[in-house]
Amino acid sequence: MLMALLRRSSVNSKDKLRKLADEELMELVAGNDADAFEIVLERHEDAAFALAYRICGKRSVAEDIAQESFLAVWRSGARYDRKRGSVRTWTLGIVHNRAVDALRRNSVHERRRLSDEGIEETLEAPERTELQAVENATSREIRGALGELPSEQRRVIELAYFGGFTHMEIASMLGTPVGTVKGRMRLGLQKLRSQLQGWEALST
Amino acid sequence: MSHRESDFDCPQLSDAGAYVLGALEENELAHYREHMDGCAQCRAEVAELQSVVDELPMSVPPESAPAALRARILANVRSEAELLNAAGHTADEPVKSARPWYRRNDFVLGVGAAATAGLAALIAVLIAVGSSSHGKVTVIPGQGMGAARTADVSLKQGNGRAELVVAHMPPPGLGRIYEVWLVHETGAPRPTNSLFSVTSGGSGEVDVPNGLHGVKEVLVTSEPEGGSQHPTRPPVIAVPLTAS
Repeated sequence: MLMALLRRSSVNSKDKLRKLADEELMELVAGNDADAFEIVLERHEDAAFALAYRICGKRSVAEDIAQESFLAVWRSGARYDRKRGSVRTWTLGIVHNRAVDALRRNSVHERRRLSDEGIEETLEAPERTELQAVENATSREIRGALGELPSEQRRVIELAYFGGFTHMEIASMLGTPVGTVKGRMRLGLQKLRSQLQGWEALST
Repeated sequence: MSHRESDFDCPQLSDAGAYVLGALEENELAHYREHMDGCAQCRAEVAELQSVVDELPMSVPPESAPAALRARILANVRSEAELLNAAGHTADEPVKSARPWYRRNDFVLGVGAAATAGLAALIAVLIAVGSSSHGKVTVIPGQGMGAARTADVSLKQGNGRAELVVAHMPPPGLGRIYEVWLVHETGAPRPTNSLFSVTSGGSGEVDVPNGLHGVKEVLVTSEPEGGSQHPTRPPVIAVPLTAS
């Protein structure tokens, strides 16, 4: 088997490793292969940092979170299960959890400020234009789909996912009944899902 | 897709969105997880909505990770790989300790260290402590991993000695003890005479006996009582240092 052969080989050249899928690299990472981990890191570090930065709003904190998250990926590589999703999804899930944990250590007031400023701050990054040019189609689709949601649904989804607020915190913040917030979250996600599925169908 | 609630819909379906967004309150979370065990409808809804939440990170404006970040992560990873690979094929087997019985449950540097190979180092440390007892103490934060991921870890360095202090740390396991390892720029990670356990409250401390000159990372693993010459388990604590 490919993985067994690769594991036996004392040196895996980076070029050979680059040809492997993430899931195959993770099998090597589980066997403590630091070179395989480096390729995984190269592929996902930008997305991980961007997500942490969007949630925390501070580059230094985002760096710490990305570092902790990738070390967690390295140390728990053996627990990765491809049946439960892609390496990217798994890694970004770890980043999200850690970023939200870090955020929840702040006061509600500070979190609200960060959440409100999140998008504006990232827009000021100097390399934004260049990065936007290479941004892939999926990102544009997701942002487009979010943009088309009714604003009250988009707001509760963003406050929960990027702001780390619970539905009760959001309800009191927006002066909305608790049940309504839950309903908007579910409805918004259902709409996003059908929209993304529609695009997927069109592009295949 | 239109939203529809029929008579047959589970009333707790309304929690599915908040659940996948991580927005349920703590007490609700436990109930909802329990509920899902017996409700196929909620499980299916959660799986569908989770696939959307998995895509949300892609909506974030792009950013380039700082170059120093990758270097920092890889430095940690390579030293840990070295440690784990140094354990080789015996990594899963308990190592018979070559150390004397009186070193067991050492909390601080003791006679046992001197009795093995560390006499010169001990003298050096004692001289250093004696000569600069009013120097500056630096506190370096460390990270708990795996079963110890919630542990608070710090390394106090100064006055010619270093002490590892832990809190909220799980016990090392029956018949086991925590052992400190030093990772240098080159060469295999070195075992130390620093063994420690923790109180029932999860706190403990241990002197790192060999000083930290040239050390780039301090690691801790759980080992069979008496300690090991090679690690038998992955690290549970890592303290990255700027090698001096």
